Amino acid sequence: MTWQVGYALANFNKSGPSKAELVEGELIRVVTDGQPDVLAAISAAETLDQATAEYFLQTYPNLDFLCGFRATCVWEGAAITFLEASAVGWGSSGTLSSAALDGSAKTAPHKTYKFSDRLIRQYGRVARVDREFDRIHRVHLRSGTTLRIGMVTDYEPNADAVRALWDRFGPVDIVWNINPNGSLTPEAIEAGHGLGARVMKWDDLREYLRTA
Amino acid sequence: MGRPEGIFTHGLMTASEIAAHLLQACETLSDFDAYMFGSTLHGVGADIDILIVGPPGDGLSQLKDELRAAGQCLPLHLLFLQPSEAERTDFIGREKCVPLASLATQSAGSFTERPIT
Repeated sequence: MTWQVGYALANFNKSGPSKAELVEGELIRVVTDGQPDVLAAISAAETLDQATAEYFLQTYPNLDFLCGFRATCVWEGAAITFLEASAVGWGSSGTLSSAALDGSAKTAPHKTYKFSDRLIRQYGRVARVDREFDRIHRVHLRSGTTLRIGMVTDYEPNADAVRALWDRFGPVDIVWNINPNGSLTPEAIEAGHGLGARVMKWDDLREYLRTA
Repeated sequence: MGRPEGIFTHGLMTASEIAAHLLQACETLSDFDAYMFGSTLHGVGADIDILIVGPPGDGLSQLKDELRAAGQCLPLHLLFLQPSEAERTDFIGREKCVPLASLATQSAGSFTERPIT
């Protein structure tokens, strides 16, 4: 058994409404009363690209959900598009737990970015969104302006969160703190300023998009 | 490519074992203040939350590389704070963070129960 499958099974079986068992390899079955069983592959990949997603779907054709078990797992946009077109849910272990509970495993997107992704797509000034990574959106505004926006999820984003996003994904115009609670630290704003990016929360971002 | 990375043969590590492992594997940790917090202190959690407090720069970059290697088969969730950020947010006190050095010297089970053997 791989380490990530061991951890996933231990987490499901320690308590809570869902239980899980190993099916084979990196495939587990999550069982929840009153909901369909979920066949989920548990990946230890640092980055989930389309080739990895295709590999899992070829290996486990009945797959309902692909779980990137590492907290640091990054999903590439092409993998997300492929999985959603294949009716396979995707995301973190927390996403899998929630999806098993509400019976939405085959359509569930990563819960961390679900709301902010919808928020930006539905904003009236936005003409089109190209999702490059789970947390990196290239946003085309009706005004003709294009902005590359990166999301950070921390309760209180710090300077490292801003620098790490920049180092991993390249330059962004805006670092968007999508956590609805908490506040930005002065160090985070300063780090963004030093890199040439604005660091903001939704209220400021919405206003920025309105005039950009 | 999603192929197995590391085999799960000895059960989950306790908080003490994780702390000892990280301190041994990451030489640069001695230049930083390192803590564990969250559910792993009390048993198995979805993530192993580790807080690193120290200045940015080459040392931090080196430490990140070391932690990445040491955490290859662990669900590490790393949080890096500058000293000023840690002080202002009172993160260490608020989250009841425990120094890795203290954890490593505890006998297994003092902070947590071994969830799987």
